[in-house]
Parts: sequence; structure tokens; C-alpha cells
Amino acid sequence: MIGPAYERFRLLGLHEDETLQYCANCKNCDISCPHNVPVSAINMMARAEQCRKKAPCLRDWIVAHGETMAKWLTPLPAALKNFGMDNPLTRKVLDKIGIAEKSPLPLFAPRTFRSLVRRLHQPANAKKVAFFPGCYTNIYNPMTGIDLVRVLNRAGYAVEVPDGFVCCGLPLISNGFLDEASANAEKNMAVIARYRKEGVPVIATCPSCRLMFIQDLREFFPEIVERYGEPDVGDAMRFILDLVETNGIDLPPTREGNIPHHFIYHAPCHLRAQGQGLPSPELLRMLPGVTVDNADAGCCGISGSYGFKSEKYAISQKIGEELFKTIRENAAETVVTECGTCRQQIRHGTGKDCLHPVSVLRRILDRG
Amino acid sequence: MIETSVLVIGGGATGMGTLRDLCMRGIPAILLEQGGLAHGTSSRFHGLLHSGGRYAVSDNESARECIEENRIVRRIARQCVEETEGFFVLMPQDDPDYAEKWIPACAKAGIAIDEIDPAEARRLEPDLAPDARRVFRIPDSCVDGFRLVRHNAMSARRHGGRVFEYHEVTAIRHEGGRVCGATARDKITGETMEIACQCIVNAAGSWSGRVAALAGLDVSVSPDRGTLIVFNHRFTSRVVNRLHPSSDGDIFVPHGSITILGTTSTPASCPDDIEPQPDEVLHLLEIGEPLFPRLREYRILRAFAGTRPLYTPGNAQGRKASRGFHAVDHAGEGLEGMFSIFGGKFTTYRLMAERVTDLVCTHLGVTEPCRTAAEPMVPDPAPDVLEQAARYFPMPDLSLMADRLGDDLPDVLGRARARKENKSTNPLLCECEMVSFAEVEHIARDAGTHSLTDIRLRTRLGMGTCQGTWCALRTLGALADHDIALKKNPPEEIRDFLQERWHGLRPALWGAQAREMAFTRAVYAGSLNIDGALHEQEN
Ligand SMILES: Cc1cc2nc3c(=O)[nH]c(=O)nc-3n(C[C@H](O)[C@H](O)[C@H](O)COP(=O)(O)OP(=O)(O)OC[C@H]3O[C@@H](n4cnc5c(N)ncnc54)[C@H](O)[C@@H]3O)c2cc1C
Repeated sequence: MIGPAYERFRLLGLHEDETLQYCANCKNCDISCPHNVPVSAINMMARAEQCRKKAPCLRDWIVAHGETMAKWLTPLPAALKNFGMDNPLTRKVLDKIGIAEKSPLPLFAPRTFRSLVRRLHQPANAKKVAFFPGCYTNIYNPMTGIDLVRVLNRAGYAVEVPDGFVCCGLPLISNGFLDEASANAEKNMAVIARYRKEGVPVIATCPSCRLMFIQDLREFFPEIVERYGEPDVGDAMRFILDLVETNGIDLPPTREGNIPHHFIYHAPCHLRAQGQGLPSPELLRMLPGVTVDNADAGCCGISGSYGFKSEKYAISQKIGEELFKTIRENAAETVVTECGTCRQQIRHGTGKDCLHPVSVLRRILDRG
Repeated sequence: MIETSVLVIGGGATGMGTLRDLCMRGIPAILLEQGGLAHGTSSRFHGLLHSGGRYAVSDNESARECIEENRIVRRIARQCVEETEGFFVLMPQDDPDYAEKWIPACAKAGIAIDEIDPAEARRLEPDLAPDARRVFRIPDSCVDGFRLVRHNAMSARRHGGRVFEYHEVTAIRHEGGRVCGATARDKITGETMEIACQCIVNAAGSWSGRVAALAGLDVSVSPDRGTLIVFNHRFTSRVVNRLHPSSDGDIFVPHGSITILGTTSTPASCPDDIEPQPDEVLHLLEIGEPLFPRLREYRILRAFAGTRPLYTPGNAQGRKASRGFHAVDHAGEGLEGMFSIFGGKFTTYRLMAERVTDLVCTHLGVTEPCRTAAEPMVPDPAPDVLEQAARYFPMPDLSLMADRLGDDLPDVLGRARARKENKSTNPLLCECEMVSFAEVEHIARDAGTHSLTDIRLRTRLGMGTCQGTWCALRTLGALADHDIALKKNPPEEIRDFLQERWHGLRPALWGAQAREMAFTRAVYAGSLNIDGALHEQEN
């Protein structure tokens, strides 16, 4: 028994229920609660309390600290890092500490997004937007970030990637490191507040990072939100959709001979938890020749670092089964979804290619 | 005809404590209760095991009794008491001079108090008012009245006592100025029962005036009504009192996962005048608000009322009436063998029982001393018993269940083990109070259980946030699956049960709880067609 039901017994001083460790923080309970009870936040705070009493294991430290680990490994070339991480021997060792041998660990990109974007030449546009890249884009999948920058450049924006941004803290919270997450929140909120003052919008491509800002921070660290004001981080795809609707960006015209594109879209749980609709399929469907099916088959099962853990790998695959089946049976060759680890899991579960919607958008815009 | 030495009338804390005391002194005794155990005020009260702080200034003698009994009850009834401690809080609107009188009065009564920084108090209880002036810690505790009565009964039975529930005493017989027996009516079967005895102890609480009248006597007890509200969360883990002369609605008491605020005090028309009113609820909220400023945001589960058996010679009323107790030997009024014990508080029930038992002993010439303060009421299970049993139960911590079951624990553990061995499940029927099927089965098969409400009283099933929405339905389903019949058929059982819950919901039905109630109705109308099904049967 977990969630608010168990919170009452915690206050009474009863033993913790061990099933708490199996909460993936996918937030589907938050989505289904008609009373807006922050069920997942209650679980995460209880987990943090447990971690305060008993330090989490090495494995949990590792999966919670992707950003720190990547920093430590910076001097090594990606090929070596990837070989180091993704050879059968290392996977056996990782398995021993609790990272499932078969789980779909992401590979390091040759260069981080931050180092790439620093070198990228952007047109001297007058309008500015700040981008919160998040760890997945920065470390494993810089193309998502680059694609976003290019699409926004086209719409007359210069994209800033502030150095002050650090991990949003979600993996820290999911693994019980609430104090560190609070330190990260403090840093990010200071940056966001600065941009707010300048009137520059801040956006994110990762639904989990965004959810952290617009919802979770208020639940976990109300005093920080009080100090800096509501972190108004926008959804990148919604931002672009708004631009399209106000003619801030031109889409290629529909004409005879448009190449047909067929995608299947998966809405990540943390996007659905925001309760703000699905801007990506709406936007992609405006593109010539594009059809998008909505998979609408629940959670993929990965939930950030959850599906990497040995004792949870099988559960994670089982949760994703329905979605994998829907995708496999769909004629579309490419899956589109905003969340990086969802893409990782879907590739693993279906063998199909997965892209962030902004990458699809850029390809079609570039082709004209 | 049943023969015994002493008949105790009233199965509240006082009566059951008296039965236990008599039995422990080796005197044959039986107890009759018109409803289920703790049908009266002992389950319709605030559940505060007073430290005495509340009475320190106004009645120092009562305060001393409270703290002494508080210590004893914590020791002999560990399973019924949550040792939360309490706060006395001086608010800006309270008279600071009262604190200066209160501090030495506590010292005089022997109550240990400890002043803490209001900021520290807020750290311990984050929802407490930020403008509290002074805060004192005090050894207040919380007590489960129903459980304490039941555990007393278990102990009394072990010493040879007998308890008859749902038996109302309708006549008291005497011959030549001596008590010789009583007549009771079995409220379940309608049959009459005759009892022959040498003594009768009238421990009928607010009803003791009526019981005395059956013997042609007069005792000055006036029922005084008090209303309480139950909130759906444990927003304080300590008892919180206002540091001012006693008044309505100024005490918060946590109980397990809920918190109770109370209480009002108004003269009642009769002992059964226990229908809480919306204006009382609003009045309590208004008075409680200074201590917990967000009070109105919390969800109210229900309201309930009880009647205090106030001792009112010369017609003193309300809070001015004495909160002390009175043990009377009616020989002085010409009836030997008749005793009454009334007034007082739940906290002092054991002392009240001791005093009246002393009178009975003197009358019977028994010299055995009272031992009720020394012997724990139910034994604690060995630690490894619970650990081993954990795998037969669907919850991580068995202590809640073990504490409430007392002597019933071994049977429930046995049932759960047997289910596991037969490869059947032992599902959780009530999440709010962690009640599994094995526990419900044990209680439902007890001869003393007639209704879902009886099951509720013994397990607390249906007393949590869902107020029966889920657990009542599940429980009836599980009982039907196992061919365990209650007195009425399932739709009628459900209707009675929900109707009883509804009584408490009605006076505070707004906001979040109104929404829950609409949901409950939809569940029962939609799944069982409750109204429709009964309607069809009646036609
Ligand atoms: C609102 C409220 C809040 C209170 N809060 C507290 C508190 O926080 N702490 C505290 O210490 N005290 C408190 N009290 C006082 C305390 O609850 C009572 O003093 C105590 O419960 C009385 O117990 P009792 O056994 O004397 O009476 P009861 O519990 O009323 O028992 C009398 C029993 O006699 C039975 N009976 C009556 N007539 C007959 C008959 N003819 N035949 C058979 N049975 C009969 C009744 O059904 C009843 O069960 C509170 C009282 C009220 C009203």
C-alpha cells in the first residue's frame, strides 16, 4: 500500500511498505485522481525519507546522477565511453550492481549538446528564447536540441542555452535524493527568474523536465517557488505550434506530389500529466503529406531510470507490452515521441526507429 | 434464571471496569448492556486520556485523579492508548494571567509540564497557528474508548466474568429493602431473561437516572450533550488544547489517521439526544480556527455527539457542573445491595470502578484488595509471532491489528495461516484501517456479531476516509462468498450500515465530503441498486 493511503500510517509511525520501491513515478495515478491529490509526490517524499534513514545503493546513486557521471567522463572520447559502458563484460558488472544486463542503456553522443551549440553559428535574430536542454538531449541525443535551434532560427529567434542550467532533478527525486534535487532547483530557478525579468521565454523539449518545473517543484520545494516565482517553462512543441498559428513560421504548402509520411505517436506519461493537450501530433498533422496515428496505449514502462534496474526490468517490459504491440502492428516505420528514455525503450521493445517530433519537423521544413 | 452475586448494568468503561474489578477480586458477576459494548458515551467521546491540565485551575482534585489514572491506563492498556503527548497553547486572544495561575496549579496536581519555544512547537506540528504566544508540553494521550471497553471485557472474562450485549434491564426486583434480582429483555430475540443477584451496580452513565428509577431511587444525573467533528487526516500528531478556562471546541485529538475537534456542552433532553446539528459544527469550526488557521480547508468526515453523565445536585449545569464522580451506596435511602457510580470522566473510569467495587466488597464482606491498576488487560503477543505471521497478511505492519484484537489475535492469525495453506487469499477489505478478511471472518463468526455495524465497531472498518464506500461492499461480498450470514440480508445490512454512517455525515455535508457522498450514493445505486431493490421487495 502506497500513496496517500499509506501516508496516514507513516504519520502513525508504522513500518514503511516495501512496495514503495516499485513506484515508477510515472504519474498515471496523478492523472487519474479526480481530486488532484499529488499521489506520486507523496510517494517520492516518502522514498526520500527512507533514503535519509538508510543510504540508497550505488546503483541508485549512478542512475540518479547521469549529469555528474557524464561530467566526470567528459575527457574520454564517446567511442571509448560507449565501449566502456556497452560491452558484454561491463554490462555483466553493471548487472551485478543492479542495472539489468538487457536494459536499453542510452549511448553517449560524441559531443554534448552544449559544446555543439556553442560552436553553432546562429543568425543574428532579434527575438530571443532560452532553451532548457535537459540531460537526455545534452548527453545522449544532441540532435533534438540542434533541430530545435534550427527550427526556431527559421522563425526569427536566437536560442540561448544558459550555462547556469543543471539537471532538473527528476532522476534525483525518483531515486530519493531530495536534498540534491533542491540544490538543483535553486540553481535553475535563479536562471529562470532572470529570463522572466528580461521577458525572454524559457522552453524545454523534454516533458519530464518541464513537468518538474511547472508542477513537481511546487509540491516538493514550495519555499523555493515562493522565493523565485512560478517557473513558467514552456513546452517547445506548443511554442512552435503557437508560432505556426500566428504565422510566425511558414509551413511548406500542400501540393501534388508531397511525399507521404506516416508516423505513430506515443504521448509520454509526463506529458499527459501536464494536462495541456498533445501539441506534437497536432503540429505534425499540419505538415504536407503527414499522417500521425496516436498509439494511445499507456506507459512505455521505462519511467526514466526505472526500467534499467535489474529487479524492475521485467516489470518495465510488461508495462510497455501493450504499447509495443500497438506500435509493431502499426504500418508506420517511425515512432515519434518527445521523451528521450521513452524512445530508448520503444526502440528496445519494437525495433522501430524513434524521433523527437522537432526532428521530424526540421527534416520536413528543410526539404521544403 | 441466571444466578450471580453482582449484576452490573451498563457496558461502558465504568461498568466494564467494575466487572473486571469484581472478577479480579473473586466475586461472581455478570454485566448487561442494552446495545453493543460501549454503545453509550464511552464510544461517543473525544478520546482524550486527560493529563489533568484542563482541570488544574478549576478542580485541582480532579486534575490529580486524571494524571494518576492517565499513568495507570497507559501502563495497563498499552494497546488502547497512543502516547502522543499534548500541547497547551496560549493564543494572542487568551488572557496571559491565566497561564500564571495554570502553571503552579499543574505543579500542585503533579502534572509535569515543559514550556517550549512556539517555533519549536511549529516544527513539531507544522499546521499549528504561527501566532501562538506560549506552548507547553504535557502528558496528554489518546485513548480508543471502544477498544478499552472490549479489552476490559476480555480481562473480566479471563477472571470468570460474563457479558451479555443487547440486553436491556427493564426491572429491578427487591424484597424487604434488599436487592434480589432484575429482569432484562434480549433486544435481538425479544426474549426475557431473569437474573437473581445480591447486588446491583448501576453504571448506566447518562442513563443512570433511569436505571435508578427502576428501583424507585433518584440520582442527580443530567445528560449533557457534546458534539465533535472528525477530520479525515492526522493534521496534528499531538493533542492540542487552548490555554484558557475550558470552553467549547478548543481541543484537537489525533486518533490513528484522523483528528477529532470538540466539544460543545449543552443540556440534553434525554441520554439518546445524540443527533449532531450543522450549527454545532459551524460553531466548533469557528472556535477551533485560531489554533489551526487552515481548519476550514480540511475535509470533515463526519460529526457525532454523546451525552455526559453530569452530576447535578441542585441543578448546576454545563461546564459549571462537577466533573467529579460519585459512588453511592443506596442503603442510606433504604435499599441494600444497590449501588450507583456516575459522573466523572472516561480517564478516571478505573478509579470509579475501584471505588464502587470497594463499596460492594464492604457490603459483601470481601477483603480482597483491588488489583486492576497492576495487571495489564491483554497480554502482548511475542515479537516473533507477529513477524512470522506477516506473510499471511496483505499489510506490512500487523501492529494495528494486533493491538485492537487483544485476546482474539491467535484465532485470527490461525485463520490467516490456514487460508494461506489452502491456497486461498486473505485480501485487505478495508485499507483505511488495514482490516483483512481473516479478521473480519473471525469477528463475523462470533456469536455476539449481528450486523456490519458490529463488525465496524470491532475492526474500525468503515471508520476511515471512505466511510464505508468501498469496504462495506467488499466485506458483504466476501462474507456472502463464504456463506457467513449476518442477521439481515445483504441489501438491508448495507442500507442500515450506510444509514448509520449517513447520520454522522449529514450535519457536515459540504465541500469535499459532499462530493464523496455523491460518489458513494452513485456506487451503491449503480452497483447494488440499493434503493430500487429494497423498494421492490417492500412492494
Ligand atoms: C462529547 C464528549 C466528550 C468527552 N470527552 C472525554 C474525553 O476526552 N476524555 C474523558 O476522559 N472523558 C470524556 N468524556 C466523558 C466520558 O466519555 C464519559 O464520562 C464516560 O464515557 C462515561 O462512561 P460510562 O461507562 O460511565 O457511561 P457509558 O459509556 O454511557 O455507559 C453506560 C452504558 O449503560 C448502558 N445502559 C443504559 N441503560 C441501560 C439498561 N437499562 N440496561 C442495560 N444497559 C443500559 C448504555 O447503553 C451505555 O452503554 C466526554 C463526554 C462527552 C459527551
